[in-house]
Amino acid sequence: MWAKASTWWTYFRVSLEERMVYRGDFIIGVMMRFLPFATQVFMYWAIFETLQANEQPEGRLTGEIGGFTFYDLIAYLLLVTVTRAFSSMPGLTSGISNSVRNGEVKKYLIQPIDMVGFMLIQRVAHKLVYYVMAFLPFAFWFYLFRDCFTNGIPGVEIFAVYLLSLVLSFLLGFFLETCMGLIAFWYLEVTSLTFIYMLFNFFLSGHMFPLTWLPGEFEWAVQALPFQYLAYFPAAVFLGKITGAALYWGIVVQIAWVFFFFLLSRLLWHRGVKRYSGFGG
Amino acid sequence: MSIIELNDLCKTYKVYQKKEGLRQSVAGLFRREYRDVNAVRGVNLKVEEGEFVAFLGPNGAGKTTTLKLLSGVINPTSGEAKVMGFVPWKRDNDYRRQFALVMGQKNQLWWDLPAQESFRLHQHIYQIPANQFQKTQDELTELLDVKRLLNQPVRELSLGERMKMELIAALLHSPRVLFLDEPTIGLDVVAQHNIQQFLKYYQQERKITILLTSHYMQDIEALCERVVIIAAGTIQYDGSLRGILNRFSNVKRVTFQLAEGQSFEALDRFAPIEELQEPKVQFRVPRSDVPKLLSGMLDAKRVVDVTVEDPPLEEIIAELFTQAAKNQKDSSPEWLGGN
Amino acid sequence: MKTYIQVFLTFARNSLVRDLSFRTNFLLQCVTSISWAIMNWAFFKIIFAQGKNIAIGKGTGWTENEFFIFLGTVWIINAIVQTFFMPNAQEFSELIRTGNLDFALLKPIDTQFLVSFPRLNWASLANFFLGIVVVVFYANALMHDAVNPLSLSVFQVLSYIVFIGAGVVIMYSVMISLAATSVWLGRNQNLYMIWFYLTNFYRYPMEIYQRGVIGWGLWGFFSFVVPVLVVANVPARTLAQPLRESGGNRWENWLILLLFTMALVSLWVSRRVFRWALSSYRSASS
Repeated sequence: MWAKASTWWTYFRVSLEERMVYRGDFIIGVMMRFLPFATQVFMYWAIFETLQANEQPEGRLTGEIGGFTFYDLIAYLLLVTVTRAFSSMPGLTSGISNSVRNGEVKKYLIQPIDMVGFMLIQRVAHKLVYYVMAFLPFAFWFYLFRDCFTNGIPGVEIFAVYLLSLVLSFLLGFFLETCMGLIAFWYLEVTSLTFIYMLFNFFLSGHMFPLTWLPGEFEWAVQALPFQYLAYFPAAVFLGKITGAALYWGIVVQIAWVFFFFLLSRLLWHRGVKRYSGFGG
Repeated sequence: MSIIELNDLCKTYKVYQKKEGLRQSVAGLFRREYRDVNAVRGVNLKVEEGEFVAFLGPNGAGKTTTLKLLSGVINPTSGEAKVMGFVPWKRDNDYRRQFALVMGQKNQLWWDLPAQESFRLHQHIYQIPANQFQKTQDELTELLDVKRLLNQPVRELSLGERMKMELIAALLHSPRVLFLDEPTIGLDVVAQHNIQQFLKYYQQERKITILLTSHYMQDIEALCERVVIIAAGTIQYDGSLRGILNRFSNVKRVTFQLAEGQSFEALDRFAPIEELQEPKVQFRVPRSDVPKLLSGMLDAKRVVDVTVEDPPLEEIIAELFTQAAKNQKDSSPEWLGGN
Repeated sequence: MKTYIQVFLTFARNSLVRDLSFRTNFLLQCVTSISWAIMNWAFFKIIFAQGKNIAIGKGTGWTENEFFIFLGTVWIINAIVQTFFMPNAQEFSELIRTGNLDFALLKPIDTQFLVSFPRLNWASLANFFLGIVVVVFYANALMHDAVNPLSLSVFQVLSYIVFIGAGVVIMYSVMISLAATSVWLGRNQNLYMIWFYLTNFYRYPMEIYQRGVIGWGLWGFFSFVVPVLVVANVPARTLAQPLRESGGNRWENWLILLLFTMALVSLWVSRRVFRWALSSYRSASS
């Protein structure tokens, strides 16, 4: 038990260090993430301006689009960026599928370590480094747009649920993408699958626009699929758009999805390894 | 005027020093420490037209760096060089049309396309007239026996075949000066031999000037009259391969085969014993002591056979390298990559 | 000159041969980039569907149909950049990392040219055609507008094409300069990301930035320092709202001047940066 913990701890440290070596790239990467956000702010600013009644051109923007005022929307987009910082897993699917393709996965079959477990540790390390580096930029943006949070910071209860749902969105993103990567055991060309995933993510996770903007016909897809938990749900919780029973029901569903993809990843891993060693790689 | 002239050529690199440990890596995010590595420190050399010169030296000695300086790929920190009257790092088009560089560890051919396509690209880049291009290509593919492979994607060729194609690509424009950086690295004995034969033939035929670096003594023994030994960024020796023995080795190996029944007791009174394997005994003595040893042994024992030989070249050179590394105090041998 | 054309054609031909030898991959790439474009279109469609009067900015003239001409223009320019420059910029930074830039430096031909064009990614050209379809479709819609029909002359269409050319020159210069920084930054995996984020600004009508200190700051920066704002704005504006507001609002002429000036300046700067980078190049071994 101890030995295992210390192996994992070492791996965690190595992952942290690995992440720190390339400082230039890294800092630039963190800063750059906010640029698209800036353009979005300006675009929506320009759009909401057109909804403005003529008499107050310079004042507060009063129009609403799909139940969101300009300020709601900015707050929403900021919060969604935070969720995405938890749930997005750049390179995870392709990393796993590549290691299956080029046989690197054998290493996990020979050594007494669990691949998915190690990938999880690695991700946690990478994300931690990211949050440390990104904290100031995030703080700056939240400060800059503090007036957009018209409801203020939510109470302890909502905030706790929000944090929980952020962590869950990390786990959901991780296990979901791991499952896609593991499909490489059966089907080597995972790229097209990743692409379909991105497509769904774009429209159904809410990281581009609030899901309430979607035409009504898509409501069932939002509810039936896990994508909203990768961006929309935590943000909506923070903004107080989801309350009462719906809030807790949402968390339960999110936990269920995490659990589902966790189990699926175990299943895919065991079946995949069996198949892999059966075919002799 | 010599075709290649180097005067006090120096190249210093700054290398980022990575620290061990998490705390140090975090610190590395914000401040980095660099250290100077003197890859080439004051090289003076003259090469005449038509010479085939070998650069010999341990990893990190500055051989490749020197070749890169001469090809104008990198700029020197100080010093001068002229090749065919051009300053290489000015990268004059007239200069670049007259030389070629082949690197055994890198390839310039299009990986997914047949070598033929890369050759055609070279034709356009070097503005080789069509009939001359065809003639040269035919001749080279004939000599290297790769004509049938011209239309096969490069990625499907073996290492040896690929190296041959690289050589052809480099020679299509009939360069006057050719730089070869470990052209036989990783090749099997047959491929190595083929390439040696080809280079020898081609150099004698065309009278071009070639500078070659290699780790393989066979390459150098087979090809070069003149050897330049570089270690720790400076030239340690410049002369013939045989000359290395005269200059650096004053030791001989003397082997006696004694007749049956001779005692092997206390032979070390004559000289230090290198190896004793009855009925043979081998001594290692300074050259000047050879006559004394011979007469002493012949007087004392019944000797069936005697051989006097030089120690193997590799051994002398290895010793030379070790010595050079010792002499060099402030720079370390494991500098970034190159050799 | 003849050499350069011949070499370029050989590059184009070799790339096509290679692209077509991986046919599945080629088709997949076409489908992917077209899908991205359609997603992009759907996103704005969703926004415009939220209300009748929605436009990108008040009094800017970028209502739905005009904006989609803008979007189509962005696709056309993007497709050109991704076909001709993107793979090469990435390759360039890889050449620096592996030391294979050595070979380019040996050739008796302009190194910047040799590095800029060897690999063309023909699959990315799919969006070029899609962009044309979109531009033609929405221009046609504008021309049949019941209230204020647009009339286009041959001259306008020609200048649209020339302006796109000038815009492409700017994009190329920014990209090659960015790629050249690999000489100092070492591994530059983020190159594509930086490029994406930088060019993110050019994907919107420039009017949206003309407000507030930060907005004007961004507008200035991306008009004069990294001049990507004029790239799509000038051609799109020429086609979508050619001198529609005839009264006084003639800053279009200014923009055209800016576009051409910036195209020349950025090309010159890119050559300087490129040469500077080469002088710092240290040629990694093996």
